[in-house]
Amino acid sequence: MKTNARTAALPTLLLLIGPAFILFTMLVVVPVVQAAVYSLYRWNGMGPLTAFRGLQNFVTLFTNATFQKAVWHNVLIVIVSLGIEIPLALGLALIIGRSDFPLAVFFRTFFFLPYVLSEVITGVLWQFIYHPQYGLVKAIVSFISPSAPSPVLLGNPHITLWVIMIVIVWKYFGFHMTILIAGLQDIPEELREAARIDGASNGQVNRYITIPLLRTTLQISVFFSIIGSFQVFDVVWAMGKGDPVNAAETMVTYLYKFGIQRLNIGLGSAVAVTIFAVCLVFSVFYQRTLMREER
Amino acid sequence: MRSGSRSSRALLYAACFAVTLVVLVPLYIAVTGGAKGMGQLLSEPLGLPVPFMVTQYSDLLLGKVGTYWRALANSSLVAGASVAIELLVCAGAAFALARLRFRLNSALYNYFLLGLLFPLAVCILPLYLQIRGLGLLNRYWGVILPQVAFQIPLQVLLLRGFFRSIPKELEDATEIDGYGPLGFLWYMVLPLSTPILATSGVLTLVVSWNNFFLPLLVFNSNAKFTLPMGVMDFMGEHMTGWNLVLGYLTLAMIPAVLLFIFAQKYIVAGLTGGAVKG
Amino acid sequence: MRRIACLIGLLVLLPGLALFAAPVKFSFWHIGVNDPDKSFYQSVVDGYLKLHPNVTIDMTILENEAFKAKTSTLMQSGDPPDVFQSWGGGLMSTYAAAGLLRDISKEVLGTAWGGSMAPGVLGVYQYNGKQYGMPYDMGAVSFWYNKDLLAKVGYTTFPATWPDLLKLVSKLKAAGITPIAVGAGDKWPAHFWWSYLAIRLGGKPIFQNVLSGKGKGFNDPAFVKAGQLLLDLANLKPFQDGFLAATWPDQAGFIGDGKAAFHLMGQWSPSAESAYSVSKKGILDKEGMAPFPSVPGGVGKATDAFGGGNGFAIGKNAPDEAVDFLKFLTNKENNSRYAATGNIIPTVKGADVSLKDPNARMVKGLVDKAGYYQLYLDQFFPPAVGGVVNDSVQAILAGTQTPAQAAAAIQTAYDENK
Repeated sequence: MKTNARTAALPTLLLLIGPAFILFTMLVVVPVVQAAVYSLYRWNGMGPLTAFRGLQNFVTLFTNATFQKAVWHNVLIVIVSLGIEIPLALGLALIIGRSDFPLAVFFRTFFFLPYVLSEVITGVLWQFIYHPQYGLVKAIVSFISPSAPSPVLLGNPHITLWVIMIVIVWKYFGFHMTILIAGLQDIPEELREAARIDGASNGQVNRYITIPLLRTTLQISVFFSIIGSFQVFDVVWAMGKGDPVNAAETMVTYLYKFGIQRLNIGLGSAVAVTIFAVCLVFSVFYQRTLMREER
Repeated sequence: MRSGSRSSRALLYAACFAVTLVVLVPLYIAVTGGAKGMGQLLSEPLGLPVPFMVTQYSDLLLGKVGTYWRALANSSLVAGASVAIELLVCAGAAFALARLRFRLNSALYNYFLLGLLFPLAVCILPLYLQIRGLGLLNRYWGVILPQVAFQIPLQVLLLRGFFRSIPKELEDATEIDGYGPLGFLWYMVLPLSTPILATSGVLTLVVSWNNFFLPLLVFNSNAKFTLPMGVMDFMGEHMTGWNLVLGYLTLAMIPAVLLFIFAQKYIVAGLTGGAVKG
Repeated sequence: MRRIACLIGLLVLLPGLALFAAPVKFSFWHIGVNDPDKSFYQSVVDGYLKLHPNVTIDMTILENEAFKAKTSTLMQSGDPPDVFQSWGGGLMSTYAAAGLLRDISKEVLGTAWGGSMAPGVLGVYQYNGKQYGMPYDMGAVSFWYNKDLLAKVGYTTFPATWPDLLKLVSKLKAAGITPIAVGAGDKWPAHFWWSYLAIRLGGKPIFQNVLSGKGKGFNDPAFVKAGQLLLDLANLKPFQDGFLAATWPDQAGFIGDGKAAFHLMGQWSPSAESAYSVSKKGILDKEGMAPFPSVPGGVGKATDAFGGGNGFAIGKNAPDEAVDFLKFLTNKENNSRYAATGNIIPTVKGADVSLKDPNARMVKGLVDKAGYYQLYLDQFFPPAVGGVVNDSVQAILAGTQTPAQAAAAIQTAYDENK
C-alpha cells in the first residue's frame, strides 16, 4: 500500500502526537525503565535505593526452582493455547464461518461472550464451579455416584494448573474464533466453490485451500495467543494465586507474590525485565521468520 | 445443501450446541444461583430457583448488601473518561503516523508498538510510584490516565491501519479546498472512520471496565471502588455465602453483556479489520 | 487576684481550645468487615466524633487479604494511613525501620496509657525500644472443638497429649466425621500447627537461637521434628477435602456448620465460625476450647503460648488527634465493650471483667499464665521470611517438601533477609 503522506509542520505534529507521546512515555516507558533500574538493587520499596547488587537478582531468579516452575507453566499454557485453543477456534470458525450455516450469528455471539467478562468475575465464578463442597462439579459427581468423594480440583497441586487452563480456553477461544472468521470472509467463496465442483470433500477444501489462505490471520492469532500466555495473571490469581505449592505459578504471579508481596522489589523487577525480554525476543523472531517466508 | 451429508451436518451442529452449553452453563449458574437459598444452591446447582428468592437480588440492588450501584457508577465514570480521552489522543497520533511524512514517523510507530510487550503487572510498582508522584493517588485520573497510556499501542496500531487505507484522492480534494492536514483529519477522516473509532472505543471500554489491578492499587477509599473491586470486596466479606456472591456476579456481568450485545458488531469489525490488515 | 487567675486560666485554655477547634482529618483503616467488629469500630468512631466535632475520620474497611495487599503498596509509596490495623512484630518493624511510622513513645511509655497494659503486650508494638502502635487484643491460639462431635466418639474433654490427639483423629475418621478443618490455601492457619509443635518440642530456647544466630537456627532438630509430626498427622488424612486451597473463611464456616470436629485458631474464632457458616448460627454452646496438648519428649513448657493479637499502628504523618483517637479506642471503657462481644482478649488491665464467655476467659488465662509467648511466625519475622514459613508448611502438607527441606528453606530465607 502506498503511503499517502505529506510532509508535516511541527506544530501540527506536536498537537497530534504530543499527548499520546507524553502519556505513553510518562506512564508506560518511564515505569518500565525504572523497573529495569530497580532490578539491579535489593530494595523493599521503602526509603532510598541503596543496596546495589548488579545482576545478582537475575542470578537468584534463574536459579530459583519456583521461578523455573513458573516459566515452565507459562510454556505449558502456550502449548495448550496453540494445541487446543487455536485448533478449537479454527474448527469452530470453519464450521460457523460458512455463509450457509444456520444460526451462525447466534453461535458467534455466545462463543464470544466469555471474552467480554472480566477476569475477576470469571475467576470467582469458576472457583464456585470447582468448589469441592459447594460446586457444580461436585454436584455432578454426587449425582452420578453419591458415595464418591468430593472432587478436589483447585486444591490438588497435580491438576490445578490444568483446570485453570480449561478456564483460560473457555475465556479466550471465542476471541480467536472471531479473528479467524473475519479472515475466512476475506477468502473468496469462488475458490472453495471451484474446488468442490472439482470433487473435493469439505475436509479437503479446508486443508488445501482455506487454511493455507488463512495463514496471515492464523499468524496474528498465534502471536496474540503466545504473548498473552506469557503475560497471564488475572485469571490465575483469581483462582488461587498460583498455589497450592506454586502448582499454578506463572511468571507474573511470581512477580507479584515474591516481588511485591514479600517486599523484594529488586527481584520483582528482575522478573518484569525478564518477561519483557522474552516477549521482545519472541516478537522479533516471529516477525523475522514471517517476513522471510513471505519473500 | 451443497456441503457434506446430512449426518455430518447434524454432527457439526451438535458440536456447536455442546460448546454453547459449556459457555452458557456457568453463566446460568450465576444467574440462578443468585436467586437460590444456600440449601438449594448446594443440592441443586443446575435446577431452577424454587422458591425464587427475590430478596437476595433486591437487597443487592437496593444497596442493603454490597455497594453495587456505587461500584457501577465508578466503573462507568472511569470507563467513559478513558474512552473519550483515548479516542482523542490515539486518533490524533494514528493520523499523524498514517498520513504525515516526517523523519521520526517509523521510529515513533515502533516506539508505541513496544508497549504491546509489557502487561500492566510488569511495571506496577514504578507506575504506582509515578502516579503517586503526580499526586493522582485515590483520584479517578490516577486510573484513567494510565489506562489510556496502556491502550495507546493497540489502538494506534488499529487506527493507523484504517487511516492508511483512506484514498489519497480524498486528501487531495481537501487540499484543493484549502484545508491542511488538520482540516483533512477533522472534516474527512474522522467522519469516515466512525466504525473503526467505535471499535477502538469499545475495546478500550472493555479493558477499562474489567480492569482490576490498577484500580486496586490507586483507589484507597471504598467509595471509589470500581465493579471488579466491588466483586472481590464482596467476595471477601461474604465468601461462604455463595448464593449472594453469585447474585453479585450476575449483576456485575449484566453491563458487560448488554454492552456486548449492542456493540458486538464493532468489536468484531475492529479486531478483524484492524488486527488482520494492520 | 481572681482576675489574674482567670486571665491565666484563659491563657492556659486558649491554646487547648485552639487545638481542638481547628478542623482535622485523619484516616483509619481496619479489617473488621463483619460484626461485631464492624459495629464496634463504628461506635468508637461515632463516640470520638461526638467528643471532637472538629475532627473528620476517613474510615476504610478491607477484608484481611485485601488489606495486606493494599497496605504493602501504600507503605511502598511512602504514604501510610494514619491509624491502621497492625499485628506488630517483624512487619511493623520493617515499616518503622523505613521511617514510615510515628514514634509515640512520648505519649505511651511511662504514662497512664502505657501503664494500662502489661509490658509484654506493649512490647509487641515496639521496635528498638520505641513505641509505634498499641494493641487492643492479645490472645492465644488454641483448639476450638465441637463438643457434640467429640462426644459421638466418646470424648468429653479434648486430648491433653499429642498421641491422644492422633487417636481422636482416627476415631473421628472411623465414625465418618471430618476431624480437622484447616485453611491451608491461605497458609497462615496451617502454620499455626507447625509453630505450636515447634514450641512444644523446643520451647523458648530454639526461637532465641534463631534470633541470636547460635545453634542451627531453623535447622534445629526440634523444628524438623515439628514438621515430621505434622506430616504424620497429615498422613492420617484428617483434613477436609480440598484443604490445600481452602481459605480461612472456608475453614471457619466448616466448623460453624458442624462439618468438622475441631480446628486450631485464635481467639476471634467463635464469631467467625458463625459469620462464615451457611447457617449463620455457628455451634454456639457446643463450642469447646482447649490448649495445645503436650508433646512427649518436648522440652517446651505446657504454659508456653503461641498467638498474637490485634492493634493499630500510627503512620508517620498522623496528626496528634489520630494518636488521641487510638488512646480513646484503647481506653478501658471501649476495650471492655469490645471484650464483651467475645471477639477479643482485651489488653487493658481490668477490662477482662466483661469477658463473659467462659471460653474467652480460658484463653485469657492461657495468655496470663504464659511464661513464654511467641507471636505468629508470619508476623514476627519480616514478610520475606514469614512468607517462606507459610509456603514451607503448605509444602509439607502437600508432600512437596520434607520437614528437613522445609526447615532449611526457612533458615535460608532468614539468612538472606538479616
